[in-house]
Amino acid sequence: MQLDFSAREVTVKLVYYGPALSGKTSNLVALHGLAGADTRGRLMTLETQDDRTLFFDLLPLTFRARDGDVSLRIKLFTVPGQPIHSATRRLVLQGADGIALIADSRLSETQHNADAFFDLRENLRTNGLDLAKMPLVIQFNKRDLPDIRTEAELGQLADRGKEPVYLAVATKGAGVIETFMGLLHLTWAQLDATHQLAKKLSIDGDTLLTHAAQKLGVSTPFGDLLARRVGGTRPRSGR
Amino acid sequence: MTEPARPSAPFHMAGVDGEPPRLEELVDRRALTEMILSFELLFGVPIRILAGSGTSLAGGAGFGPLCAVVNEHDAGQTACAAILSTVRHVSLPLTSSHPESGFVPRSGPASSTMARAPSDPGLHRCFTGAVYRTLPIEYDRRSIGRIVLGPYLPIEGGPRPLAAPLSTAPGGPPDSLFAADRAMDEGAARAAWPRLAQADAATVEHLGRHLTTVLDVILFSGHKALLTSQMHLASIQESYRELCEKNERLEEAYERLKELDRLKSNFLATVSHELRTPLTSIMGYGEMLAEGVAGALTEDQAEFVATIRTKSEQLLDLIMSLLDLSKLESGTAVVRVTRLPIGDILADTVTTLTPSAIKKGVEISFDAPPDLPSVLGDAERLRQVFLNLAENALKFTPEGGSVHLVARTAFEQSDGEPGLVLVAPLRQVIEVRVIDTGVGIIEEERDKVFDAFYQIDQSSTREYGGAGLGLAIVKRLVEAHQGTIHVEGNEPEGAIFVVQIPAARHSVMPNSRRSMPPIFG
Ligand SMILES: Nc1nc2c(ncn2[C@@H]2O[C@H](COP(=O)(O)OP(=O)(O)O)[C@@H](O)[C@H]2O)c(=O)[nH]1
Repeated sequence: MQLDFSAREVTVKLVYYGPALSGKTSNLVALHGLAGADTRGRLMTLETQDDRTLFFDLLPLTFRARDGDVSLRIKLFTVPGQPIHSATRRLVLQGADGIALIADSRLSETQHNADAFFDLRENLRTNGLDLAKMPLVIQFNKRDLPDIRTEAELGQLADRGKEPVYLAVATKGAGVIETFMGLLHLTWAQLDATHQLAKKLSIDGDTLLTHAAQKLGVSTPFGDLLARRVGGTRPRSGR
Repeated sequence: MTEPARPSAPFHMAGVDGEPPRLEELVDRRALTEMILSFELLFGVPIRILAGSGTSLAGGAGFGPLCAVVNEHDAGQTACAAILSTVRHVSLPLTSSHPESGFVPRSGPASSTMARAPSDPGLHRCFTGAVYRTLPIEYDRRSIGRIVLGPYLPIEGGPRPLAAPLSTAPGGPPDSLFAADRAMDEGAARAAWPRLAQADAATVEHLGRHLTTVLDVILFSGHKALLTSQMHLASIQESYRELCEKNERLEEAYERLKELDRLKSNFLATVSHELRTPLTSIMGYGEMLAEGVAGALTEDQAEFVATIRTKSEQLLDLIMSLLDLSKLESGTAVVRVTRLPIGDILADTVTTLTPSAIKKGVEISFDAPPDLPSVLGDAERLRQVFLNLAENALKFTPEGGSVHLVARTAFEQSDGEPGLVLVAPLRQVIEVRVIDTGVGIIEEERDKVFDAFYQIDQSSTREYGGAGLGLAIVKRLVEAHQGTIHVEGNEPEGAIFVVQIPAARHSVMPNSRRSMPPIFG
């Protein structure tokens, strides 16, 4: 997080983590498509011919209601999922404020999803960060494919787990905003708790987030967006 | 070659998280100059690109002959410098709406450049009558430099064919030109004045828009290349750091293994040679005695010899177990991992033990659902585990009792664990319970039964035999399979040994060693 008082600007770094080909880039592409022209920046994809996501994708989003208001700048990164790019993942993770783990819903990918999670935990540790303290949401993408883990099972486990879980079909844009807003919400809450952002900048976090959701083209109150996670019937203490 | 310094801290990528990129980092000056020259040629207006600090990064032909005349004397020079300083440093408002590309076509009439109020911060008038137009260069919604167009004489007229020469100079130089410097060579100035660049508002607008768009593409590509190379460098450094660490660890492990290997060979050689060789002789001679090779034996003698032989067998078993345990502990035991149906192993175990169970009058059975997932493990070693447990159970169960082996699937997880939804399906374990109705094990003793040489009480050694190595070996074998073992009490009497071993998963290839990390690390 970077806070520029004079420019009234908060820059937040969010990372979309996950196994190779789970749909991280598709999430960014969908967000890019949904965001208004005054919100989105260019989607930068650093890739090579033979290795699709060699480095990372970067999508800058800027939320600002009116001139003079606080600008919320989001830098959205993806990491390369291939095992060989561990070093790159670690680098992209540096200074991350929140993480969305994009999992592939297919049963056959269960191991890869878990591996990505363990890899995340390990790389955070190497960067001196504690997973337990990191705002984290989990997305089960590719809900449109056959042989996927059932919603009932995911709901049951999500209920017992710690992180909000969202379902998505990133290529159709479904669940993408929910995941993003869920992550942004957790991240804002955490940053606000540690840095008293709302107080320092005299803004209301909920207003900021509602505005962000609007700029992404949804009029649903963001509380309703957040509630679209799977499971989550159990009240969560301390987000 | 000296060893390169090892990067201690992770590389930090300025361009990714840090400061916004600077214009001078994103463009190649020489190439930019070439581009500017070609734009000048096309539009006939001088162009200059300035960095955020105001320094010039690229410029074309620059100032014409009039500027040279003006700058001949101090007063003119000062006046000119003042104008240029404003052009360089006056703050420009950011383009209000700014989608991905750097430039949004301004709406409004084509002549808007001239129609602007005199306060237009992008338009600067020179005392020569020429003007400069400045445009911000924006990247990621931040101003990182500016384009300066001019000096040129604003002329009337709509769009004209690009680069078509203008035949007529509009009017003559304004009085302010000569007022700026009394020492100016007026004749030279008048002669030079018509050679100022001339442009109409539409052309300048057109040029600005064009240049901004092209620059935006260049900046984006430049930024991308910058990030790529930074990331490349950082990745290499990070990989190198990682390799160094790994090498260090490997070296340590190698040293440890060498030491272990030395110890192991010593110990194993001693045990197998120094103990087994004489024992083999004892057993051989015992056998010969029993067979009457040295003459017929009395009944007493025969009985004594038989005892010697049984005890020798037991001693040999003990030595073999010790060998096994030491192999397991030193990490030199070979574990061959394959995908195994645990039900088959249990069935085998029960079949093997059925004769002795019948002999003892103990009922033995097993129960495993047919859809039980496989485990990844070493068939021989797992067979050893369950045979040992079942044998034990049989040993401690009196006549009329029962030994029952039950297998089922279970989950091992705790609520609120991070990543539970991702990890839980992989935490499936196969649980095997070996249930007997024997003497049982009191609660305080239950953890200790897995210690080497442990006996519940000394009397049982005598009654049941064995040196207490079996369970120690079993525990190490189960742990080598990433499993756990513990004891529970059976109601109303007896013990239950509970073994949990992770189930093999679909995506894990059979014969892979992947989920059996360093076996006895
Ligand atoms: N059917 C389906 N395919 C998807 C979905 N999301 C991504 N994909 C496909 O999965 C592949 C990998 O997606 P990508 O976003 O590049 O994955 P990344 O490596 O995580 O960035 C592409 O072929 C996508 O079209 C989805 O929700 N449903």
